Amino acid sequence: MALIEVRKLVKKFGEQTVLNGINLDVSEGDMKVVMGPSGCGKSTLLRCLNRLEDSTSGSIYFRGEEITRPDVDVRALRQHIGFVFQQFALYRHLNVLDNVTLGLIKLKGMSRAEAKRKALFELARLDMLSSADKFPGQLSGGQKQRVALARALAMDPAVVLFDEPTSALDPVMSREVAELMNRLHQEKVTMLCVTHDLQLARQISDKVVFLDKGVVCAEDSIDQLSRHHPDQKIRAFFGQESNS
Amino acid sequence: MNGWLAFQGDLIEQMPLILAGLMQTLTLTVIVSISGLLLGIAVFYGSLSHNTLLSRFIRGYTAFFIGMPLIVLLFLMYYGLPQWGVKLSPFSVAIIGFTLNVAAYNSAYLTSAYNGLDHAELEAARAQGFSSQQIFKLITLPQVLRLSVPALTNQVIGNLKDSSVAFLIQYTEFFARAQELAATNFQFFKAYMLAALVYLALVSLIVLAARWLERRYAIVGFN
Amino acid sequence: MQSSQVSFIEIVAQLGQGLIYTLLVTLVCSATGMLVGLVTACMRRLGVAWIQPLISAYTYIFRGVPVLVLLFIVYFGLPSIGIKVPPLLAMALSLGLISGAYLSEVFRGALSSVDSAEIIAAEAMGMTRLQVFRFIELPQMLRFALPGMVNEFTTVLKYSPFAYTVGIPEITKQAMTLSATTLRGVEIYLAVGVLYFSIFRILLWAVQLIELRYRIPGLVLK
Repeated sequence: MALIEVRKLVKKFGEQTVLNGINLDVSEGDMKVVMGPSGCGKSTLLRCLNRLEDSTSGSIYFRGEEITRPDVDVRALRQHIGFVFQQFALYRHLNVLDNVTLGLIKLKGMSRAEAKRKALFELARLDMLSSADKFPGQLSGGQKQRVALARALAMDPAVVLFDEPTSALDPVMSREVAELMNRLHQEKVTMLCVTHDLQLARQISDKVVFLDKGVVCAEDSIDQLSRHHPDQKIRAFFGQESNS
Repeated sequence: MNGWLAFQGDLIEQMPLILAGLMQTLTLTVIVSISGLLLGIAVFYGSLSHNTLLSRFIRGYTAFFIGMPLIVLLFLMYYGLPQWGVKLSPFSVAIIGFTLNVAAYNSAYLTSAYNGLDHAELEAARAQGFSSQQIFKLITLPQVLRLSVPALTNQVIGNLKDSSVAFLIQYTEFFARAQELAATNFQFFKAYMLAALVYLALVSLIVLAARWLERRYAIVGFN
Repeated sequence: MQSSQVSFIEIVAQLGQGLIYTLLVTLVCSATGMLVGLVTACMRRLGVAWIQPLISAYTYIFRGVPVLVLLFIVYFGLPSIGIKVPPLLAMALSLGLISGAYLSEVFRGALSSVDSAEIIAAEAMGMTRLQVFRFIELPQMLRFALPGMVNEFTTVLKYSPFAYTVGIPEITKQAMTLSATTLRGVEIYLAVGVLYFSIFRILLWAVQLIELRYRIPGLVLK
């Protein structure tokens, strides 16, 4: 049984159908990348997974339990699903350490000392220990994204969702984040990453899911998709890198 | 019900006085809004001066009048000055006191708008050969005034509301008349509520006018 | 001019006594304003639908009526319909509620400056709406609102002399008495003006200290 199973997921915003019957599995230890043209619904899919968005029909199973039911404890669910945002979304009034400890203390009920120990461990793991006292406004984009990741990992989530984690970063910083994700992959952290950054996709995964018009069109390695996929549009999408 | 009848009777009877009071209130508001704006502009102009003595004096003036209650200034002139042999009418005291006070606020608004201006524009004008007076008149002031429209119209609303203070120095404006009405039949609640409604209606009119002014004089593409 | 019958020490003592009442009135009205402003801004933000128009009406009305008129309604008007209000409470219900209306607007503006991405991030973490408000929005909002709050507190200070009209012996009332007994009105009112100005400066200075203490690098209004 996969950790996350998405079955026939449909999401409509009014008249507009954004997700039109998505099927997707994420197994423990996976590093799955979802790609597709902008507006293909990849961010919406991610937001449905932790119920930031409610789906219109279909189901999502998390550890075998259906989480699309209305009576699910959404907040408890969210504590098991880490989320890393495009714009980092660090709490600007809290320093790096407090950004990480806030959830541990207020949501997990840890003592301050316990939370601090855990936070320092996560920050050290992501090479951000020396910045523990700094405020988000004093960090570079790459550093912010690492803190955001530490904040997510500290909660010991079953899976970490990444929403375009590198689109606000320059290429050097993007590579840093990619390396970090690879390291976490080796440490068996389950990850699902939505991106349109082909560079990032190449660096972190060997298989990608291609999403277009709200459905999964293909799931294969980037090489296979760019050279041998029957659909010209998909070949073009994954070949764009070699053209430019 | 008896109370209501008595109140209505007195209200109708005193209506001419109440309307006269309302005129006094509006007169005071209009005059000090204009004089306060003009003096405010003058003070703002002085604050830009390179003469350090003048600009320091002006900073002191604005800080002091913003930091001191208007009513103290009014009492100083109305109750204090006669002891020095200078007797001013309530109207003169109100005009002078309000103008000094309002000008300090207005110049502060203009200054903060000025600080938000693109100073490269002023450099450009200087480079083009405009004199500093021309720059002030043609570039600085028009922009600063437009940017300050919300603050300046809020000040007008403030002036209208604060004009009720003038009755404390025996100026028989609207609120003073409302109290006379209350005193004749002891219907204090009704008389004061009526006064509040009238002020609220006048404020609403100014708000509508201000919105129109804001739209009319907004600088396109300038936030 | 006849020399004053009242010694300098007595003048200072009397003004000092008035000062205590001025500070008391300012404090009570500011605290009322803070409380009401915060509660109304919270309710607006946390979206209790039916209460929104009520709050809008409150801020509109209380920002549109002169302090003195409202004070007279509360202190002289309410007794005529059978409700007696003590002087300090009357100040809180007039000046205090008016400053609450202004502060409510200040807080609303400051709340809208909180980055929505941070709010979503906190929700994605599993926080309740109330937790998000308490730990993310409120601390940032209070910092953004500081200039507006200071502005409002000084306004309250400057309207505090109205307390004399309902019989509270604050500075201005003392000055009126002293002016009548010493016939040195100009000097006394000038001294009182300087006194208010000093309180104003001390307030500004205290706020600067607070701001410095709680300043966060990189947290600025966009």
